[in-house]
Amino acid sequence: MRLPTRRRRSEETALPSDVMPPETVPVGDIETIVDQDTTEDRPWLVIVWNDPINLMSFVTFVLQKLFGYSKEKATALMLDIHHKGRAVVSSGTRERAELDVYRLHEHGLWATMEQSG
Amino acid sequence: MSSPIKRRRDGRYVIRLDANARVVLANLAAQLPGALDARDPMVRRLFPPAYTSDDQTAAEQDYRELVDTALTNHHLRSLETLVSTAEADSLTEEEFLAWLDAVGSLRLVLGTRLDVHEDMDAPDPQDPQAAEYGLFVFLGELQYLMVELLAEDLPDEGRPEGDL
Repeated sequence: MRLPTRRRRSEETALPSDVMPPETVPVGDIETIVDQDTTEDRPWLVIVWNDPINLMSFVTFVLQKLFGYSKEKATALMLDIHHKGRAVVSSGTRERAELDVYRLHEHGLWATMEQSG
Repeated sequence: MSSPIKRRRDGRYVIRLDANARVVLANLAAQLPGALDARDPMVRRLFPPAYTSDDQTAAEQDYRELVDTALTNHHLRSLETLVSTAEADSLTEEEFLAWLDAVGSLRLVLGTRLDVHEDMDAPDPQDPQAAEYGLFVFLGELQYLMVELLAEDLPDEGRPEGDL
């Protein structure tokens, strides 16, 4: 499924009338940008955590099914999750990571996301 | 000994379960939707957080607003399918996948309630939780067999472009 595009928080609050939303600010007027978020460049990591309930074979299956990983890679990730407590299963933009987290949640896996770096 | 779960040549799935087991499954699946609607703490495990750091509470709120309804409806549909096909001789692939989701959700909820942890011993037969633990084990065996069958169809080498 496709999640609707996230709206940036700055679009939801009323900006003072003398401040323009980021996307309409001319390149030269950096200081008037209210919500310049340079940290958006760093990729987001999707992490699956070990949990005492899910079957190892089920976790492997879900990783193969959702990400197209080879059986070998999916098994290695599952074993990392099992032995180390967590593993990064994918990375990308925030929107992509949220979609991956959602699909993992749909399958009952304990997944979270965090920004790298 | 062959698996009680098979896919027939016509693509339909057969799950060999005795009548008691089918009734138990249907009853369990019929009880869960009420807790999902009420967002009972018992089902919290079905709605894990996406963001956990303190500086992402707003993002987590956004995520919850985006997905909670969709997640709830996804599980409700699966549970409804399990209830309505509990007595069926065979299942379509879609119904089979719904069973997998429903069984998984029931397992997560029961397991959370039982505070299941790795290497835990089965409770004594006298223990009030023994029956529920027995159900949890049964659901795990069922899920295990379903996954084993579905996994046969996944290409070992994966798909470079991603989703299957």
